[in-house]
This record gives sequence, structure tokens and C-alpha cells, in this order.
Amino acid sequence: MKTTTPRSIAALTVFAVLSACSAKGGDPARQYGSDPYLPEPHQYLLPPMSVPRSVGWNSGETPTAAAGLKVEALATGLEHPRFLYTLPNGDILVVESNSPGTEAFRPKDFIAGKVKARAGAAEKGGNRITLLREVSGGSRELRSLFIDHLHSPYGVVLVGDTLYVANTDAILAFNYAPGMTQITSSGVKLTDLPAGPIDHHWTKSLTVSPDGSKLYVGVGSNSNITENGMAVEEGRAAIYEVDRLSGEKRIFASGTRNPTGLAFEPQTQQLFAVVNERDEIGPDLVPDYLTSVRQGGFYGWPYSYWGNHVDVRVHPQRPDLVAQAIKPDYGLSSHVAPLSLLFSQGQRLSPTFAQGAFIGEHGSWDRSPLNGYQVIFVPFVDGRPVGRPTTVVNGFLGKDNETVHGRPVGLALDGSGALLVADDVGNTVWRVSAAQAEQFAWQKSH
Amino acid sequence: MLAQRPTDHDASSNHLQGVGPRTSTLERPARALLHRSFIGASGALLIAAFGTDVFYYTTSLWQWSNFSAWLISVGLIVMLVAVILLMIEFATGRARRLNLVSFALVLSAGLLSLVNAFVHSRDAWTSVVPDGILLSAVSTILLVVAGARGWSLAMSRVAGDSL
Repeated sequence: MKTTTPRSIAALTVFAVLSACSAKGGDPARQYGSDPYLPEPHQYLLPPMSVPRSVGWNSGETPTAAAGLKVEALATGLEHPRFLYTLPNGDILVVESNSPGTEAFRPKDFIAGKVKARAGAAEKGGNRITLLREVSGGSRELRSLFIDHLHSPYGVVLVGDTLYVANTDAILAFNYAPGMTQITSSGVKLTDLPAGPIDHHWTKSLTVSPDGSKLYVGVGSNSNITENGMAVEEGRAAIYEVDRLSGEKRIFASGTRNPTGLAFEPQTQQLFAVVNERDEIGPDLVPDYLTSVRQGGFYGWPYSYWGNHVDVRVHPQRPDLVAQAIKPDYGLSSHVAPLSLLFSQGQRLSPTFAQGAFIGEHGSWDRSPLNGYQVIFVPFVDGRPVGRPTTVVNGFLGKDNETVHGRPVGLALDGSGALLVADDVGNTVWRVSAAQAEQFAWQKSH
Repeated sequence: MLAQRPTDHDASSNHLQGVGPRTSTLERPARALLHRSFIGASGALLIAAFGTDVFYYTTSLWQWSNFSAWLISVGLIVMLVAVILLMIEFATGRARRLNLVSFALVLSAGLLSLVNAFVHSRDAWTSVVPDGILLSAVSTILLVVAGARGWSLAMSRVAGDSL
């Protein structure tokens, strides 16, 4: 015993560590669409972490766009821009925000926090909204502090003359008149939203029904997979419907781990969401997804993923709920972290992007090789996602894939139909437009 | 501590005491060496983690698994301090020779607990069941034996020492 035990234990340790390190993700293309490849789940000894080091952009450097498009910086030097929204007069709102700050509950939380900080995820957010007004083809801009002193804001939507801002803990309503460049009132609270303690997934995405009567809010889970207990998951991992006038809210759909982008498909007026799925059961599990959201639908979290694939980490299990779990419509591949959803509206950007959804993929932190770090376009036919996604903007990663210049988050279309991309590591808003055409149309419309 | 010396119940110590008179060449498990209390503290933390694992297994309340993760992490850090102290005690001549059986027991428990710290870094139920609680149980058995043997990992000189 004296000699064999330590030796065999050492061998076991080495084997375990090696097997944990050798897990490489496969081709993400296998996980696009309605029937993604789903490998067997594995559990690892070392939490898989792989983040590129944040280096920012040198002057003159930009992301790269698909053929026929060009990229320029619309605004730089922002404080962690996350979400973009275009007002009817063409003014652009930039929500500058980051996590309200979460306590480290477990030894792992310390280490995870340090690793993610390398990728620029720990930067302090501005907790404010900045207004940008493009002047003369985007070459100059008016820039104004629009709303200050917010609390980890994310989603913004204008309905009539009311601007709704989803802080991490409440929806606030502000009076807005066209042309305003600053709002100094502190706003009126429409309703509370689930926030602390913990507030693991803090972003509250926001959209409005086509008739303007209801707001829809995405509320993320309070953990990866219930490791902070079931009690703190009460009312989380769900999409809420909020009555705009009374502020009454109810859960519209549940089991959506982190629904970070909500939007109505313009043709069918169907609510869609992009959802960030669970981590730490493999580089190719679980695919993040785009899905239509059914009223009363349950999408699996935490008990199962992609329909009825049971997650053994949850205890006690709920076979009754697993049986009800809805398969999402469209896989985006694993750990890409889709953080925004924007439908094109037959826009002038390019004929390729006439019908479908743009999705900003913030990029993976626990997958090797890295995945995401791009803006993609998912084509739609008759109101449903079909076919393969195409890359619209990439080049956020350094050529060595070990450094990161920026990470795409929020998306919006400006008055000219150009695609705007918020970059919360490069602290820039990028404007992606047709390479030659449209300049004339742009000047005419302003 | 000092008073225990003549009535030491440790087997190897009794054996050594029976061999001959106390001279500067005589060895016994070193009770006054500093590393010993750190090994004991580390052992107590790692054994406690088995207790909290059992509580988690029976209640599925996440806070017990959280306790286990902290107990194992801190237990390992304290064990690392103990090993550093042990090395200093060897370097300064206060410790003369490894107490091999105790050393093997504690080393095994430490390596298992290191693996267990990673197992406990998983999320939710499978951070404890089944791998985590099994590793905690085996470590606990090894540490209880090491504790019964007096926690000390080294022999020290009996006479001429500052005991």
C-alpha cells in the first residue's frame, strides 16, 4: 500500500487532467439548423475555460464584413456598449452597461472571474445611455449623454411617446419627444424584474408586441445549471409578458436559460428569441438557439436540453417537465453566446439580407477552439429560419485566435439601412454599409 | 505536549522506546513539530467536507455542496502550508526522517482531495454525487487513520531536542 497507492493515484490524476484537456470542439456547422448534432454529455475535472486576451483595436483597424459591405467606426471610446436602438428620427441609442457585480460564492467563482476578465468581460459599464446622431453619411456625429444613473440597463424600446428601459431589476418608463438629446427625469417604474441576490444572468432583453400593448422581457437564469440552488431560480429563465399600461406581468414562456434577444418576425408577427444554453458538459453541448416562442411553452432548462435530453446535474429530476420540453427551431452551434436578435426588413444593406435575422455572437469563453465572435445572418422563408447562416461581420479575433480586438453584442439598423454593431470590448459602435451604392440614397433621406 | 512524551501510545514510538535508552540518536514521531498541527487542521477540514457531502446527498440543498467546496479548498491550502513547514523542519534539522506510513496516508488523502476539489468545481448534483462523495469518503478513512497515528509526518530526535 505504501508504494502502490500514491503511484496509482498520481497516474489517475494525470490521466484525468489529460482527458479533461483533450476535449476539442468539432465543426460548428454540424450544429446549425433544426437538427443539430448532439454528442454525449461529459463532465470534466477542470472547468473548460478558453478565453482570448483582450487587446482592443489599434487606430485604423476594423472588423471585416462580408463581400460588398464596408465597416467604419461610428463612435469610439464608449463604456462597454451592449445594446443599440434606433429612434424614429434616426437617432441611435447606445446602452452602456455591464453586470451589477456578482459575489463569488464558490472557490471556482474567483478563478472564473479572473479568466473572464482577460477577455475584457469585467470592464465597468457606463450604466447610461448615449445618443448618437449621424450627420452627413456617418462621417461626423452628434453625441449626447441621453440617460444617466441607470442600473445595469439592457433592453430599450420606444412605444408612442414612452421610452422603456429594462434595468436589471425593473422596467423604467421615460417620456420622450422626437429630437430630444437628453432625459433628466429619473423615470417611472413600470414593474420590478427578478434581479438579486446573485443576478448571474443580469441582462434584461426587451421588445414590444406589434400592436404596442405588451412588452416582452427576457430574464436569464441565476446559475449555469442550478448550482446556486432552486430557490434563487424562482421566476427566472423565462420570458415575461408585461401589460404596458398596468405593469402587470406573467410568465409567457419558461425553460429558456438566458433569453438575451427578443424580436417579432415582421411577416408573421411571431415572437422569436435567441437563447444561451448551458455550459460544462462538452465543447459541443449545448447549442445556443434561435426559436419562435410559444405562449406557455417550456424549453427545457434546467431539466433537459434540445427537447428531452436530460441533464443529470439537476436534482431532483422532473421527467414530467422533460416530457413537455419543446425542441427549439434553429441551432446556432455551441457556446457562441448570441446576445442580440434583429430582423431585417427588406433592407438596402444587401439583397442577401432581405429576409431573415441578424444575430450578434459575443463569443465563447469555455470552448476550444473558440466559437462565435461574429455577426451572422439566418435566412427566413415564410417566417421560419431555413438553411445555413452566413457571416456578416467577423475579424473580431486576432489572427492567432489568442487575442481579441472586440466582441459584438447589440445590433440595430440605422435610418439608411446600415447595420450597427455594438462592440463591448473595443468600446466602439461599428457601422456596416453597402460598399459603394446607397450613399446617394442616404444623403437624400437626411 | 511535553508531558505526553513518557507515556506515548504511538506504536512505532513504543517500539523505539523499547529499543534502547534515550540518546541523541533515538527517534520518535515528532509531536512538537509545527507541521503536525497544520496537518491536523487540514485533516479536520477535509473530513468535515465528507460530512457536508453527506448532508448534500440527503437534502440536495446546494449550500452543503458549497460548504464542501470551501472545506476542501481551504483544507488543501492548509495542507500545503504544513508541507512547507515540514520542509523547513527538515532543513533546520528539527525533523530527522519521514514517518512513512503517516506520510503516505496524508499524501494519498491530499492527492484525492485535489482531484475532489476539481470534482466539486462542477455544477450542481454531480459535483458531489457520486464521484465527489466517494473521494471524500476515501480521504476521510485515510485521514482518520493518520489522525489515530498522531498526525505527525516526521520523526524527530528525542534527546537533545528542544522537546
